[in-house]
Amino acid sequence: MNAISTAKRLPIPADALSLLAAPLTMLALWVLVTRAQWVPEQLLVSPTKVIEAVGELWEAGELQGHLQNSLRRLFLGFFSGAIFGLIFGVLMGLSKSMEDYCAPLFNAFRQIPSIAFIPMLILIFGIDETFKIIIVAKAAFFPVALGGYDSVRGIPKNYLEVAKVYQCPLWPLIKQVVIPATVPQILTGLRLSLSRSWMVLVAAELMAADSGIGQMMEWGRQMFRMDIVVVGVFITGVIGFALDYGFKWLESRLARWKTG
Amino acid sequence: MGNLIHPDFKRSAKSLSGELSIQSLHKQYRLERNYLNVLENINLTILPGEFVSIVGPSGCGKSTILRLVVGLDSDFQGRILLDGKPITSTSTDRGIVFQDHRLFPWMTVWENIAFALVNSDLSSAEKRDIVALNIERVNLTGFANAYPHQLSGGMAQRAAIARALVNEPKILLLDEPLGALDALTRLYLQAELQRIWIEHRSTMIMVTHDVEEALFLGDRVVVMQANPGRIKRVVPVPLDHPRDRSSPLFHRLKDEILADLIDTDSTAEAKRAKSLALRSDLG
Amino acid sequence: MGMVFFKRLKGLVLPLALLMTWEMASRQGRAYALTFIPIEKIGRSLIEITLNGELLTNLLASLGTASTGLLIGGTVGLGLGSLMGLYPRVDKIIGPVFHSFRQVPLLGWIPLIGLWFGNGCLAKTLVVCLASFYPMVLNSYAGIRNIENNHLEVCRVLGASRWQTYRYILIPGSLPFIFIGIYHALAFSWISTVGSELLFTAGPGLGGMMQTAQMAAKMDIVIICVASIGIVGLLMNVSLAKLSGHLLRWRSTR
Repeated sequence: MNAISTAKRLPIPADALSLLAAPLTMLALWVLVTRAQWVPEQLLVSPTKVIEAVGELWEAGELQGHLQNSLRRLFLGFFSGAIFGLIFGVLMGLSKSMEDYCAPLFNAFRQIPSIAFIPMLILIFGIDETFKIIIVAKAAFFPVALGGYDSVRGIPKNYLEVAKVYQCPLWPLIKQVVIPATVPQILTGLRLSLSRSWMVLVAAELMAADSGIGQMMEWGRQMFRMDIVVVGVFITGVIGFALDYGFKWLESRLARWKTG
Repeated sequence: MGNLIHPDFKRSAKSLSGELSIQSLHKQYRLERNYLNVLENINLTILPGEFVSIVGPSGCGKSTILRLVVGLDSDFQGRILLDGKPITSTSTDRGIVFQDHRLFPWMTVWENIAFALVNSDLSSAEKRDIVALNIERVNLTGFANAYPHQLSGGMAQRAAIARALVNEPKILLLDEPLGALDALTRLYLQAELQRIWIEHRSTMIMVTHDVEEALFLGDRVVVMQANPGRIKRVVPVPLDHPRDRSSPLFHRLKDEILADLIDTDSTAEAKRAKSLALRSDLG
Repeated sequence: MGMVFFKRLKGLVLPLALLMTWEMASRQGRAYALTFIPIEKIGRSLIEITLNGELLTNLLASLGTASTGLLIGGTVGLGLGSLMGLYPRVDKIIGPVFHSFRQVPLLGWIPLIGLWFGNGCLAKTLVVCLASFYPMVLNSYAGIRNIENNHLEVCRVLGASRWQTYRYILIPGSLPFIFIGIYHALAFSWISTVGSELLFTAGPGLGGMMQTAQMAAKMDIVIICVASIGIVGLLMNVSLAKLSGHLLRWRSTR
């Protein structure tokens, strides 16, 4: 099963080719299907139409406006949720009694998907900016809190014992043992919460908003402008991917010592 | 070369089959443009009911011989005949026990052993009896419903042995079966293996790196050397069963074989040093 | 024994505090009372919609959507993942297609599905199928690839046929991973059920019920729905944990 084979060297690594092959093929298929008009216009728009729509939205300044609003909400909500989540999670990990008090409520809220909170928050806060930022914060809070909790609990006792034997004072202990040991999991928690927050935000905008990528998609749908909807879908996907990828890059730089 | 059979060796009617004949066995691995001789000109005949131990330094191909005999590998030159018929691939008339017990974690001891009978023509009642018999044979009665993770290393290996025996193979191959166990368990299992062999009397071939173990269990000890893998010599063990580890003959044989192995090692070392010197001369 | 009791007590402190804050907020004046509906009213509404069957109907509808989607998406995912794991050729051909589709977020499919399949049950179930599909493919693939070669060699030595190898080794051996897949698929199926019910408003379901209640500014019903969603999710997790605990009891508890 383990054959020793000598691979021929292609100018481009074979992996990259195969990675691109499928999306490119599907793109080609898409162009083909719409060109040949096998599917009616209303159901499947052609890529050219989509690109035209992008141009249209960009010129009208709408695309930038929507993007700005969405991203603004995302970052406000994410940062507040993440910071609270981190502090909360770390504290819960450090203090057993805090865990005893907080864990049941924490777990109960965690069970409920963020989008399920949307109607409730709308009733309390109205459909303004506030509720969107809060829902993003909620979505961001839990994965980060869990990451913080797991990372603190996960610091192997052995390391702490070694530090004790060498009489390590508190600040160096935190800086050189606790933080490096916890960073990987916290980063993963941050990454997951960022992806989730983005999705929840777009969902909330789909349901009730006056601006934002989600709202743009919903408006497009109501006007039967499929091309605008597709633009929205693409942007959602691309931003989600970029956020995820960027964070993975960050993880690889900051958590370099973790193998595989 | 050393086909002496101890006079004590009794042949029961059942064990008249299980004669293994290895003739001019060669095996090479291809590495880039070079060929690596794993086994070179192995000739060995093993009589029905014999227990043969194979010792040798690492890399001498002893485990490879077992894999070829059991049929997991069919890339070789030469012939391997079981009772006169060339072997083609795996078959239940050849069983094997690996160094890692390889019991399936999701099956109980009973289910693991019964799995070996998955293609047999026996009725379920007969299968039940045979499985129970073999569990008893390896002294694991009472643990039939345990899962592998609940067993100690020695017990798991015993279960693996039972699984290999349940098909009543003509030849049982053992590839460093006790290598992963601690010293005390090893001694205990060596005695168990000997008992099972005396009761069962099928042909057994065991690869081990422990010379004492080889002498304790084997009627003959095949000493191999590495680079390339070759049989250096075959040592007959004319001792009574059950073996006495403290007998002077036992010690003498052990010293002889060890000397052989060390000598092989140092010869190999010398060869390597010489070839390195040659290369640096040329380069 | 006493320790556990105290621990449980401590856990109740915050929830009780929350309830009390809520109750106090509801007493702050008429406007607040509409939003922060008094607990007593919530209780009465609960009894009312339980008795008139409204809660049950919607709950069952949601469960129906979730289980149908999970069953279909999960089974197809299991099949595809297993095929990809067992046959490298299939993996090479289908793998890249699968992974590029996977990049499209589920949310992105919703508008398209809404356009193509309307607003009702079919669309919702489709979303749930998709949500359960991905984790099952990934995990069953991993499960099959993870079967040790050593075990497969034992099968060869013992003369097991291909089918016997599947049945006795490949399937039980990949169960741990498959269960991880089911766990994720289950969670996603419930979340996507609620989500699709919020976005596709036709037809019964807890999400739809919640949406209607929100439009009518009925906070009590909204809260009841939220609580039901949470409880069902919890029950699903617990049952799955019990099931996997039993089926996977052969794993070392280390």
